[in-house]
Amino acid sequence: MTRLVEIAVPDEVRVRACAGEERARQLIYAAVAAPTFTLIRRVIGSRSAAEDVFQDTMMILFERLADFRQEAPLGAWLRQIAISRCLMHLRSPWRRARMCLESALEGELPALARAASHAPPPEAIDIERALATLAPTARAVIWMYEVEGYSHAEIARAFGRSVSFSKSQVARAHLKLRAWFEPQGSRPTCTLS
Amino acid sequence: MHTELEQQQAVARALRELPDDGARPYDWREFQRRAHAGPAAGARVARMRALAAVVVVGLAVMATAIRLGAGPRPQRPPATVAAQATPAEDDSAAEQWLETLPREPALVRVGTRAAIATLEDHIAQVDDLLSSESASRAPAARVNALQQERAQLVNSLVQVRYAETLANATR
Repeated sequence: MTRLVEIAVPDEVRVRACAGEERARQLIYAAVAAPTFTLIRRVIGSRSAAEDVFQDTMMILFERLADFRQEAPLGAWLRQIAISRCLMHLRSPWRRARMCLESALEGELPALARAASHAPPPEAIDIERALATLAPTARAVIWMYEVEGYSHAEIARAFGRSVSFSKSQVARAHLKLRAWFEPQGSRPTCTLS
Repeated sequence: MHTELEQQQAVARALRELPDDGARPYDWREFQRRAHAGPAAGARVARMRALAAVVVVGLAVMATAIRLGAGPRPQRPPATVAAQATPAEDDSAAEQWLETLPREPALVRVGTRAAIATLEDHIAQVDDLLSSESASRAPAARVNALQQERAQLVNSLVQVRYAETLANATR
């Protein structure tokens, strides 16, 4: 998997993009769009919401490109923007209201259909599906910690919470994800918390 | 048998080895189309900030107005009778002010309304006495005393009605 944090852009391209040259901007977009979208999609979950956050992130990238100080690769700077936009989305009251509505609707589904929609494929461990069953905050925290390499202190700062919050979210997410490695009978059928 | 640490490491490795999301983002043209369709993120943030600033300023003005009582303030009553030498002149000014008030508001406080009714009854009694004393050519001192008492009652009524008006304005 291409890591966003490692993507660097030649300085000459960056300068031309800062000057507003469309071709240079297109080159930067081509280099960072896919890993940025993947990161956002992993943290946010839903594709439509991820597209909104992705659009915002890329627009901020081009609007503030002149502020980039080149202390790290461009991808690392962009990752900070993407993560902060994701967290803003997760904290948004609109999203919370929608989650409540979706949870309420899900409660009305027949239990059989619900179990079927969450059941992992029998042939392999579907870590992606398992990730999707995590609560949005837990998913964001474990992705930031295990994949993006954020420390507990950095996660705590990003969420405006304590280090214990980050540690407990990671531990709980591990517990739920590990259940998907265990024999079929002990796997969870539905996780809403 | 796997230890808990090994299981955690396996989960972490599985997460890191997840392939790129199969769903690709849209291309540069679509990005530009969306960028032109909606306001720029920066402009949106600026607009939200401006809106938030207007709301905060509005709330601050309202809070200050309520605190200082600067809302739609009722007209002040005329000066009190006690400060005046001739109660008769004052009476008429006070009564003119009372005339400007609604006879009875839609919502009343029982305690205030009882005090107003009592004062109005007393004023009516004094008015009856004054009429009868004038008709019977009573001594001037007696008539003056009744007029003084009436002026004081009107003054009290003005103060109670003014307090009631202020309370209604800040409700």
